Amino acid sequence: MTSIKCRSCAERAAIRMRQHRLSLCKDHYIEWFIEQTERAVKKYRMFTRQERILVAVSGGKDSLALWDVLWKLEYQADGLYINLGIAGEDNYSDESERFAREFAEERGLTLKVVNVAEMYGETIPQISRRAHRGRFKPCSTCGMVKRHEMNRVARDLGYPVLATAHNLDDEAAILFGNVMMWQTDLLARQSPVLEESGGFVRKVKPFVRFYERETAAYTLLRGIPYIEEECPHAEGSKQLQNKALINKMEEEQPGLKLAFYVGFLNAKEQGAFSGLSEAEKEVVLTPCPNCGQPTTNSGLCAFCRMVKPA
Amino acid sequence: MPIKLLLRKQEYLLEEKSIQVKQAFQQLNLSPEAHLLVRNGELLNENDWLRDGDEIKIVPVISGGSSA
Repeated sequence: MTSIKCRSCAERAAIRMRQHRLSLCKDHYIEWFIEQTERAVKKYRMFTRQERILVAVSGGKDSLALWDVLWKLEYQADGLYINLGIAGEDNYSDESERFAREFAEERGLTLKVVNVAEMYGETIPQISRRAHRGRFKPCSTCGMVKRHEMNRVARDLGYPVLATAHNLDDEAAILFGNVMMWQTDLLARQSPVLEESGGFVRKVKPFVRFYERETAAYTLLRGIPYIEEECPHAEGSKQLQNKALINKMEEEQPGLKLAFYVGFLNAKEQGAFSGLSEAEKEVVLTPCPNCGQPTTNSGLCAFCRMVKPA
Repeated sequence: MPIKLLLRKQEYLLEEKSIQVKQAFQQLNLSPEAHLLVRNGELLNENDWLRDGDEIKIVPVISGGSSA
């Protein structure tokens, strides 16, 4: 079997992307990856160079890759790290915070840090146990707290845009889950850009066209240190199960994952879910009397009902 | 000397003199969509060869928990 060569320079390829029929060496891959990110930012009108962007960073490969690319493209991108107080065998949260801090320091970038236990008196696992939210795992509590805190910090500090590093594997797994359960309201909302509305800042996902192995390859090839340990609570999560199923199909039919997600976006653009989107616009959001963030509840928002300020 | 592969704290040994990356994935029952292989800091593609004495790092690329 012959070796795989870079399409641009005929050097040994570092990566082959079967869905694009494209193989690239280290340098041309990094170049391609940055260009593709810029294309996605422009295609979905995510943000401009005049806007300040808050990048949600976890210390993991995807979010540090995103911050790195936006920094290289000279966008005004600051980072936000939320310490969730997850310990595990390897002191997961503190270790991931260290990676985020080191990344920022090396590049002279601004990183905002929120420590959930310091702000609210309890870690995510403690909140989850007390509130009996989620049957066995704190993941739903974690998701809610992160969404609340990301929007709060962006609003408080005047960032009009919040960027997360969701990749195509994440989006395909979410889409798969929503289709399996026919959660039409969630299908209508799933998008690379969620425009600012009613107190929510604009949310963007510049990596939605990349496979997860591509964001990992970028991080490795750029030599960015990141937390390699998985969150101790992630094992057995539905999202991981869905990703494994989709990847099994991708191995047999290269490009299936991309076609599944892009086909969904195209159908959406052609109005397949327009009735549902209209229905969503009729949802009334009011500011939570405690934190001021938008909620569909008439009283306190779900976050304030669950979390007790320290 | 076998080919040594390390996935987090798990070590795998392959006794072949040489084996292609894609065959190694099959033997170890690992998804090539979910892992990357690195030798001495160099990312390997699916047609690259692993040889006896190599020490390979298997990098898991799939993560997931809450979708914030």
